Amino acid sequence: MPKYVMVIDVEKCIGCMACVIACKKENNVPEEHFRTRVVEEVRGEFPHLRMELRSELCNHCENAPCIDACPTRASHRAKDGTVQIDRVKCIGCKACILACPYDARYSHPKGFADKCSFCDHRLKEGKKPACVETCLGKSRIFGDIEEPKSEVAELLKKYDSSVRLEFAGTRPRVFYIKKQFAGGL
Amino acid sequence: MTEITITGLNAITHPYLEVWDWRIVIYLFLGGVSAGMLVMCSIANLRIPKHPVEELAQCVRAPLIAFVILAVGALFIIIDLGKPQSLIWGYLTFQPLSLMSWGTWGVPAVLLANALYILAVVPKEDRHRLRLPFLIKLSEKLTSKMRTIAKLNFALGIFLGIYTGVLLSSFAAIPLWNNATLPILFLVSALSSGAAMIVIIAKKYEIKFLFTKIDIWLIVAELIVILLFFYALYTSTAPYKKAIEPFFSLTSEQFIFAMALIAIFLLLPLALRIKLGELKEFEGEFHGEFTKSQILRMNFAAGLVLAGTFILRAAIVYAGQLTKLSPY
Amino acid sequence: MSLTRRDFLKIAAVTGGAVAATTPVVKSVLALGKKPVSLPQYVPTTCEMCFWRCGVIAKIVDGRVVKLDGNPIHPNSRGKLCARGHGGIGLLYDPDRLKTPLINTGARGEAKFKKASWDEALGIVAEKMKKIKENYGAESIALLTHGTISTYFIHLLQAYGSPNFAFPSFALCRGARDAAFEITFGEAVGNPERLDLQNSKVIVLIGSHLGENAHNSQCQEFAEAVGKGATLIVLDPRFSTAAGKAKYWLPIKPATDLAILLAWTNVIINEGLYDKDYVLKYTYGFAEVAQAVKEYTPDWAEKETDIPASLIVETAKILGKNKPHILIHPGRHTAWYSDNVQRQRAVAILIAILGAYGRPGGIYLNPKKKLEPVFLSEKDYPDHKPALNKGKYPFAGEEGVTHEIVRATITEQPYPVKAWFTTGINIMKAMPNQIDTMKAIQKLDLLVAVDMMPYESVILADIVFPECTYLERHDDLFVLKERALGVSIRQPVVEPMYDTKPGWWIAKELGKRLGLSEHFPWNNFEDFLKKKAQAWEIDYSELSKKGYIDFPESAKPYILSGEDYKFKTHSGKIELYSKELKEHGFDPVPKYTKHEQPPEGWFRLIYGRSPVHTFSRTTNNPSLWELMEENVAWINAKIAKSIGLKHGDYIVLVNQDGVKSNKVKAKVTERIRPDCIYLVHGFGSTSKLLHKAYLRGADDQQLITRYAIDPIGGTVGMRVNFVKITKEV
Ligand SMILES: Nc1nc2c(c(=O)[nH]1)N[C@H]1C(S)=C(S)[C@@H](COP(=O)(O)OP(=O)(O)OC[C@H]3O[C@@H](n4cnc5c(=O)[nH]c(N)nc54)[C@H](O)[C@@H]3O)O[C@H]1N2
Ligand SMILES: Nc1nc2c(c(=O)[nH]1)N[C@H]1C(S)=C(S)[C@@H](COP(=O)(O)OP(=O)(O)OC[C@H]3O[C@@H](n4cnc5c(=O)[nH]c(N)nc54)[C@H](O)[C@@H]3O)O[C@H]1N2
Ligand code: SF4
Ligand code: SF4
Ligand code: SF4
Ligand code: SF4
Ligand code: SF4
Ligand SMILES: [Mo]
Repeated sequence: MPKYVMVIDVEKCIGCMACVIACKKENNVPEEHFRTRVVEEVRGEFPHLRMELRSELCNHCENAPCIDACPTRASHRAKDGTVQIDRVKCIGCKACILACPYDARYSHPKGFADKCSFCDHRLKEGKKPACVETCLGKSRIFGDIEEPKSEVAELLKKYDSSVRLEFAGTRPRVFYIKKQFAGGL
Repeated sequence: MTEITITGLNAITHPYLEVWDWRIVIYLFLGGVSAGMLVMCSIANLRIPKHPVEELAQCVRAPLIAFVILAVGALFIIIDLGKPQSLIWGYLTFQPLSLMSWGTWGVPAVLLANALYILAVVPKEDRHRLRLPFLIKLSEKLTSKMRTIAKLNFALGIFLGIYTGVLLSSFAAIPLWNNATLPILFLVSALSSGAAMIVIIAKKYEIKFLFTKIDIWLIVAELIVILLFFYALYTSTAPYKKAIEPFFSLTSEQFIFAMALIAIFLLLPLALRIKLGELKEFEGEFHGEFTKSQILRMNFAAGLVLAGTFILRAAIVYAGQLTKLSPY
Repeated sequence: MSLTRRDFLKIAAVTGGAVAATTPVVKSVLALGKKPVSLPQYVPTTCEMCFWRCGVIAKIVDGRVVKLDGNPIHPNSRGKLCARGHGGIGLLYDPDRLKTPLINTGARGEAKFKKASWDEALGIVAEKMKKIKENYGAESIALLTHGTISTYFIHLLQAYGSPNFAFPSFALCRGARDAAFEITFGEAVGNPERLDLQNSKVIVLIGSHLGENAHNSQCQEFAEAVGKGATLIVLDPRFSTAAGKAKYWLPIKPATDLAILLAWTNVIINEGLYDKDYVLKYTYGFAEVAQAVKEYTPDWAEKETDIPASLIVETAKILGKNKPHILIHPGRHTAWYSDNVQRQRAVAILIAILGAYGRPGGIYLNPKKKLEPVFLSEKDYPDHKPALNKGKYPFAGEEGVTHEIVRATITEQPYPVKAWFTTGINIMKAMPNQIDTMKAIQKLDLLVAVDMMPYESVILADIVFPECTYLERHDDLFVLKERALGVSIRQPVVEPMYDTKPGWWIAKELGKRLGLSEHFPWNNFEDFLKKKAQAWEIDYSELSKKGYIDFPESAKPYILSGEDYKFKTHSGKIELYSKELKEHGFDPVPKYTKHEQPPEGWFRLIYGRSPVHTFSRTTNNPSLWELMEENVAWINAKIAKSIGLKHGDYIVLVNQDGVKSNKVKAKVTERIRPDCIYLVHGFGSTSKLLHKAYLRGADDQQLITRYAIDPIGGTVGMRVNFVKITKEV
C-alpha cells in the first residue's frame, strides 16, 4: 500500500498563491471556501524581522480525529491510505469540520463536508496534485514515502522535518522541512 | 509581535464564521432540559416506596413534555444537517468513537423509552384519551412496569445530559470544549433546568416544593462547576488558557461573551435567592394552596434558571468556535 | 485546434509519469447505463493575464474552460502558472464583461451607454476619424496602448498616417532600465529579462519584489536559487516577501538607492574585487568610473541611505568574492524618481565590473538566431508630420512616452491632438496625474476604447469596442528570447462569448471603413499566422498542437572565456563611461542626486504588486478578487501607535496637493520603514459597472498628482508624492 505524503519546503515558498487558486479550479471549490491556504508569519520588530511562508492543507492524518467524529463513515481512510469523504454518505453534520485541529475542512454549499483529497482523481491518472504541479517555488513536493527512491523519501531522510501541532497526536502526513536555520522561526 | 496573514480562509481560521450555530445551541439546550426532566420526574416517581400501582406516578405530565422537547430539539439538529436526506447512512452503521453516531442512535432510543414512560404513567382515568385501542392496552400493561421504566429513563436521562456535554468535549481541536468538566457542567445544568421545568409545569404542592429544594442544590453545583470549568482551563497550557479569553475580554468583538458570563452569574444566584426564600416559606406555615403571586415567583425563578443554562450553552458553543489549538 | 489530453501527451512527448488515461472506448463500455461522461479537450495557448506570456493548456469540458495549466514545454511557464494565470477563467466568465459595442449618449464619464451593432459603432468612428484627418491631419489621432492588441492598432494608425502611439511599458515601466542597458551594453535586457537566476550565487534585488511580482519563470528560478542557498541581498524600504527570504535585508531610505550602488562600486574597485580580465577585455571607461566613485564612500552612503557603512562593505565584499555568478536584478518597473536612467546605469556598471554579463548566474546572452520580421502587410505607410510621441528626450524608446501625448493634447504643441484610441490600457490607473489626463480628454473630439472590461478609463470613451479575451482569439505569434529562441501561439480555446471580437478583426474592419483594406490583406488572422510560420520555417499545425516550438541550437547563453565578444555599442565594448550621454549633455558616469524627503508628519507614498492581481485589470476578476478584495495601506507599527491607529481601521490618505484617497484599511505592521506608506497598485476603481472592484481600496495613482521626469529618456518618477493619514472616513 502506498503512503502518500506531502513535503513542504518552507524556504522555497515565495507566497505566489498559485497553489491556492489552482486547487480551487481543479476541484471546483465553491466561492469563499478553500482546500488549502498559505500562511505568512512574520516575527520581530523593524528592522529585525523573520518571515515564514508555509502552505497548509489536510494532513491526511494517520490518527484522524475527523474520521473518528464521523457518524456515517463518510469520512474514511481510502485504500491508498489517504483520508477521503464520501459525498453520498455525508449527512453534513459538520462534526468532522470541528474535529479537525487544522481547519482543513469546510462545509460545501451542497451540504456535505469537503477538504483536500490529495487530488486522488489526478493520482489515479498518474498526475501530481494540482497545487504541487503548479507550485512556482517547488515548495510542495508529493510522493509515496514507501518508495525509497522517491523525492519525498529522500528529503525526509536528509532533512529534519516537523508536522503541524504535533502535540495533537494526529500523526500528519504533511511534513515541513527547513534546510537552513537562517531566518527560521 | 507576530503578524499572521492567511490567504485562503476557512471557518475556523476566520474568526467571524461558525460551523455550528443557534440550531445546535437549541438542540443542546432542549436535549438538556429534556434529559433533566426525565431524571427529575423519575426521581419523583421512584421516591415513594412500592405502593399499589395507581398511586405510583406522581409526575405524569413531565414525560410527555420531555418527549416533545426532545423531539423538537432533534428537529433542530436535523435542520442543521447539510444533507438530511442521507440520514439513512447514519443508521447503517454505528461508530463508537463518533459522538454524533451516539446521538444518531441515542436520541431515538431515549425517545422510545420516553414514549414507554408516557404510556406507563398515564392515570387510569385519562387512558381513554389515548384513543387507539392497542395503545390503551399497552398502557395498561406498562403501568405495572412503571418503576423499571422510570429507572431506565433515569439512566437514559443521565446519558442524554452527559451526552450533550461529551459531544462538545470530544473535540480535541477546540480547547474550550475539550475539557473533562464540560460534560459534568452540562449534566448539572441539564438537571437543574429539568428541575426548573418541572417546577413550572407541576401543579402539586409537594412536587414543586421537592424540585425547588433539589434545584437549590443543583444551582449551587452548577455555579461551582462553572468556576471549576474556567479554573481548569486557566491552569492548563497556552491554547486552553487562551480559550477562556473571550469571557474575560471587553473588546468589542468578544464583549458578548463577557456579558453572557455576567448574565449567568446574575441569573443563577438570583434564582437561588428566590428559591431559598420559597424554601423558608414552604417549610414553615405552608399548607396546600399557592397564591397567584407565589406561582408567579416560582415560575420566574425557574425561568431564570432556564435562561441561565441556555445562555451558558450558547456562549460555550459560540465562544468555543473562536478558540483553536493552532495559534491562529 | 483541439485535441484530447492523450493526443497532447503524445505530441508534446512529456517525459516521466505513466499516464493511465483510459481510452474513450473503454470508458464508454464501463459507463454503460450511466450518463456519458464528456471527455475533456486540451488546447494550448498563451496567457495574457500579464506580459510574461506563459504557455497555457486549457482544459475544456462541455464547451466550458474548467482549468488552465502551464504548458510544460514552454520556457515561461515550465508546466506552472501563477495565481493570475489560473485566474484567467475568472476573466472569461466575469459577468461584468463588455458584451456589445457601446455608444456614449451622455457627457464623457457619465457612462450613459447605448448598445450598438458593430456596423453602427465602427461607422461612427470611421466618420469621425475622417473628419479629424481632414481638419487637422491624421497625426492628430493618437494611440495609447498596451498588450497584444497594440500590434493591430499601431498598424492601423500608421496606415492612416499617424505615428503617435505610446505604451505605458516605456516611461511608466521598464524604459529607464532599457535605456540604461542600451547605453551600457548596446541592448536591452529583454522581456522576459535574460536573468540566469537559477545559477546565481548572490542575488541582489533593488526593489524588485519577486514573489509579489509574480513573473512566472523568474519566480521559479528565484525560488530554485534560494533553495540552493544563494545569498540574497534585498534593498527595499518594506520587508517584502523577497526580503523575507534574504540574508541581508537593507531597509533603505527611499530615493537613495543610487548612493548604495555607487558606494558598492567604490568598495569593489578600492578593494580590487572587480573582475579585472573582464573589465580589461570588454569594457570602456573603467578609469573614469574609478575616479568618479571615489567620493562615494560607505560612510557617506550610510548618511544618505540609513544603511550602516559596515553592512555596505560586507555586502560589497560578498559580491566581489562570488563574482561573476552575481545577479543584480536590473529591475523592471523602474519609473521611480527623476534620475531613473542614471540609477539603472549604476546597476549596469556594477554588473559589468563584476563580469556578470554573459556569465553563468548573471545575465545570459540573446539567442544566436533571429527571425526576420513578417509584416501585417507589404504596403508602405503614408508620409506624415514628425512624430510627437517621444518629446524631446534623446533616449526615449520606440514605444513612445505616454505623458508626451497628454502634454501635446493639452497644449496643442507641436500640433493639436484631437482623438485618442486607448486599447488594452487603463489610462486613469496607469498614468500619473489623473487631473492632467482628464484635462487632455476634455480637448478631444473622439475617444475610443477597445477593452474587455468597463474599467474607469473605458467608461470615459465615446465609443467602446468589446474585445474578446485571450482565451477566445488568435493573436500574433510571440517570439521568445529565452536561452533559446522560440515561438508561442495564441489561439481560441472557446468561441467568443457575447458580441465580442478579436482586436485584429476590429482594426481590420475599421481599416476597411477608412479605405485601408490593402493594409489588411488577409481574411482570417490564422491565414496570416500560417504565412508567418511558413516564412520562419515552422510547422504551423505542430505549433498549434504543442503551443510552443523552439530552436534549441540557437542558445548561446554565455561569453566563452577569451572570446572576442562584440557588444552592440558604438565602441563595441561595455560603455562604463558613456560618450553618448556626454554628447547629449548628461553625466557620462552616474552622479548622485539628492531627492526631497517627506517633511515631519508626512510619508512617502510607495506602491507595488500583489501576487494575485495584475495592476487594475484583475481587480474585478471573480477568481482573484476572492483572494484579495481590496488593498490595504501599510503603516509602520510605531507610527500607528503614536497616532492611535489600529490594524484594520479605515483611513483616508491625503497628498501634498490636498487630493484625498478612497477609504482604505490600515495594515499596521513592522514590515515598513516609518517614513513611507505602501499600497498595492491598481485598486479603488471608480467604475460603477464593476460589481466587485467599485470603490474597493485606495488608488495609488489618484494620489500621484506629481511626477518627476527623467530628462534622459523621458521616464517618469512616480514615487515623489507625500501623503498624510486622516482617520475621517
Ligand atoms: N501608480 C502606479 N502606476 C503605474 C504602475 C504602478 O505600479 N503604480 N505600474 C506601471 C507599470 S509597470 C505598467 S506596466 C503599467 C500598466 O498599465 P496597464 O497595462 O494600463 O494596466 P491595467 O491597469 O491593468 O489596465 C489594463 C487595461 O487593459 C484591459 N485589458 C487587459 N487585457 C486586455 C486584452 O486582452 N484586450 C483588451 N482590449 N484590453 C485588455 C484591462 O481591462 C484594463 O482596462 O502601469 C504603470 N503605472
Ligand atoms: N503579480 C504581479 N506580478 C507582476 C505584475 C503585476 O501586476 N502583478 N506586473 C509586472 C510588471 S509590468 C512589472 S513592471 C513588475 C514590477 O515589479 P518590480 O519591478 O519587481 O517592482 P517595483 O514596482 O519596481 O517595486 C516594488 C517594490 O519597490 C519597493 N520600493 C519602493 N520605493 C523604493 C525605493 O526607493 N528603493 C527601493 N530599493 N525599493 C523601493 C516597494 O516597497 C516594493 O516592494 O511586476 C511584474 N509582475
Ligand atoms: S488534517 Fe484534519 S481533515 Fe485532514 S485528516 Fe487530519 S484531522 Fe482529518
Ligand atoms: S459532515 Fe459528513 S463527513 Fe463530516 S462527520 Fe458529518 S457525515 Fe461525516
Ligand atoms: S492536493 Fe489537491 S486538493 Fe489537496 S490542496 Fe493540493 S490541489 Fe488542493
Ligand atoms: S504555489 Fe508554492 S511557492 Fe506559491 S504560494 Fe503555493 S506553496 Fe508557496
Ligand atoms: S506570469 Fe502569470 S499572469 Fe503572467 S503570463 Fe505567466 S501565468 Fe499569465
Ligand atoms: Mo510594468
